[in-house]
Amino acid sequence: MMSARLALAALLVAGLGASSARADAPPEKAALCAACHGEKGVPIDTSIPVIWGQNEGYIYIQLRDFSRGARQNEQMAAIVAQLSRDEMKALAAYFSTLQWPNLLQKSAPDDVVRRAETVAASAQCPQCHQGGYIGASVQPRLADQSETYLLATMRAFRSGARANNDWMTALLKTYSDDDLKVLAAYLAGL
Amino acid sequence: MPPILKATSVLAAVAALSWGLAGQAAAEEVAQATLYGDMSAVTQTMLDHAGHDGNNFLMTNGNYSQTRFYPNRQINTMNVKHLHPAWIFQTEVKDTMETTPLVVNGVMYVTTAFDHVYALNARTGEELWHYKHKLGPISIYCCGPNNRGVAAYEDMVYLATLDSKLVALNAKTGKVAWQSDIADPELGYSETMAPTAVNGKILVGTNGGEYGIRGFVKAFDAATGKLLWTFNTTPENSVGVWATKDASGQDLHRDIAAEKAALAKGGDPYKTLGGGVWQNPAVDLKANRIYFVVGNPSPDLDGSNRPGDNLYTDSLVSVDLDTGKYACHFQYVPHDVWDVDSVSPAVLVDALDNDGKLVPAVLHGGKTGFVYVNDRRDCHLIRVSEAMVPQENMYALPTHGVGTRMLPGANGGVEWSPMTVDPALSLAYAINLHQPMHYSVKEAAYPAGKLWLGGAFSVIPTEQQWGNVTAVDYNTGRIRWQVKTAQPMIGGIMATAGGLVFTGEGNGLFKAYDSQTGSQLWQFQAGAGVNAPPAAYSVDGKEYIVVGAGGNAQLDYKRGNAIISFTLN
Ligand code: HEC
Ligand code: HEC
Repeated sequence: MMSARLALAALLVAGLGASSARADAPPEKAALCAACHGEKGVPIDTSIPVIWGQNEGYIYIQLRDFSRGARQNEQMAAIVAQLSRDEMKALAAYFSTLQWPNLLQKSAPDDVVRRAETVAASAQCPQCHQGGYIGASVQPRLADQSETYLLATMRAFRSGARANNDWMTALLKTYSDDDLKVLAAYLAGL
Repeated sequence: MPPILKATSVLAAVAALSWGLAGQAAAEEVAQATLYGDMSAVTQTMLDHAGHDGNNFLMTNGNYSQTRFYPNRQINTMNVKHLHPAWIFQTEVKDTMETTPLVVNGVMYVTTAFDHVYALNARTGEELWHYKHKLGPISIYCCGPNNRGVAAYEDMVYLATLDSKLVALNAKTGKVAWQSDIADPELGYSETMAPTAVNGKILVGTNGGEYGIRGFVKAFDAATGKLLWTFNTTPENSVGVWATKDASGQDLHRDIAAEKAALAKGGDPYKTLGGGVWQNPAVDLKANRIYFVVGNPSPDLDGSNRPGDNLYTDSLVSVDLDTGKYACHFQYVPHDVWDVDSVSPAVLVDALDNDGKLVPAVLHGGKTGFVYVNDRRDCHLIRVSEAMVPQENMYALPTHGVGTRMLPGANGGVEWSPMTVDPALSLAYAINLHQPMHYSVKEAAYPAGKLWLGGAFSVIPTEQQWGNVTAVDYNTGRIRWQVKTAQPMIGGIMATAGGLVFTGEGNGLFKAYDSQTGSQLWQFQAGAGVNAPPAAYSVDGKEYIVVGAGGNAQLDYKRGNAIISFTLN
């Protein structure tokens, strides 16, 4: 609990102490991330997801899950081993404020769009991932995410290799591999 | 007292007061008119008498007994056919709407999805202020970004938010006075309920039964936001008595031996056992106790790693208002593995016990489709009503794969929708769902704040769904009347001294029924799902009925953003 007055005072102090520095300066460890997630937010490889402009709650939860081993990836495991919980929160806050990059992915052809929308409607994907698939809070943005990554991560959910959300696993188990391809192409092209 | 006389005298008092003031004061001052208090703030005296206050609607369920019975009868069975919109206010947020508008001295407070609050002029719908809660990075909730409204106390209104904060706003300006943490949102705690304000305390429970939380009711100091007490809804010994039957005597098909083995191996599961409380407690001022119902155990469908009765999930619980100390409980469904839990808020009435004696009682409309009548003094069960919806294959265990068909579905019966009571008729009114579902189980370990259902409840797409409005005589448990609706119902209902009950549907229809017979007397097409509980108030001697039309996330009813206030001519 914090009284409004105290909160305001704290904010003022923080603001006065670090005004412009705070707004611009990325957390120290953010430099680590550029090596793979890209200097300008475009990942160096299509198997690596965009994290610039991703939702704050979602980024934090993923970092937390990598560190707990609930989500497994060798590269990320090495990274999160060096991060405290507060650093994860600061990184999440920072990357969420950056602008989502343009990956120059093409819109999916009409027949793919139609099929993807049917599949998505039956599972109510937008109920959690929101209209336009921009997500909110702990639900990730999917729109314009790397197609290669989307397909790989949906397959990983389905096989159980990505084990940090039972619900997504159960849901994607009900779809064929073709469905996943169509969904990935559609979402990447939004 | 004969019912008609009682209603008339209340009306007379209300009318006399508002007309009296109108005669001697300027219009602006009339807008401030109220039966009790100093006309600028919500006093405890006003709240104590909310049930007889025809001008204001002071709390989410109308009064501390939560009868949602509005005592004015200017709008009644004779003239309701002339009811029409007085004004429509459109919020900035077009999404699921479950708010109950409060009205205090001519000012209305409504909330929207994602925790916005608006203060409106209750006569005109004109916006006075708008507060938009800045949600923190993490908000985890199962069933839509809902909010059910604010509590009003003294010169503040109180909002509980999706990121599990309690926020006190200046009622005149909408400025934040203080904000307190209720619980850690990262672990799946969130808030959708309107708080309850009483005797300097702000009471609030929590959502999160789908995430392995440990449920609670907390009391905060209304002036400072300091935590006063916490009642944990899952006690350290949650095992209970290994009950094999539910409140109605039906077999629960428990494998007690397997549960005992699981208990020996894993210990008491109370820390992640769920037990959310996300509807308002009723307050018994005389006994100085509150009564609330506790939601489902976590995980919803997999009972294998939560042996025992899972106290106090799926239960009625009463605690002391000042200390939060346990007073009594009654469990409706021990060791629930269907999510047929207790959600619709408790209602206090005087009811006949089985010896024909009038006793202080408490009602609850269950997802099971029963209305339960319990004795308020020790929580024991007096009776269970006739089932309001079809019950088939009751308590058949969820299976692997497609699952088991059972009725009712996991949304009820009665979902969170508050009931209403006309005490003169001794009728409780409930809105119900009929949604056949398959219940399947899939064992899963505690996922630390992620969705934890332990299986799935899925609507059977080939089967017809519908809803109903049901009037139950709580002195006998018999259904007095029942009206079928085209869709499963969710939202809430309100009875008035005008002999009416008002309730809305997912298809946008908002209807008034004769509370004695159930015949439909009026309807209005709101253009989006009317899935919020109605309220009523009077300003300048003129009665209004108000309701939100914003649809519903959980049942995917058409979204909108309207608050519609209705009146006669
Ligand atoms: C050595 C390369 C590498 C570095 C350095 C790296 N990452 Fe990653 N990151 C990956 C890969 C590969 C994935 C995809 C893992 C998978 O498929 O499960 C990933 C996934 C993520 C995800 C999950 C995104 C999503 O959409 O689910 C987040 C969040 C993330 N990284 C944040 C960071 C942050 C913050 C840093 C710097 C502190 C960082 N990463 C540094 C390679 C890297
Ligand atoms: C009940 C809510 C819900 C629904 C419905 C839902 N998702 Fe998700 N989804 C989530 C959550 C929460 C996550 C984050 C999982 C985690 O915590 O790691 C997620 C993660 C994902 C990811 C991983 C994104 C990334 O950056 O790694 C993809 C892809 C995805 N969902 C696709 C879908 C698709 C396609 C559908 C419909 C077929 C769908 N989801 C329906 C809640 C949902």
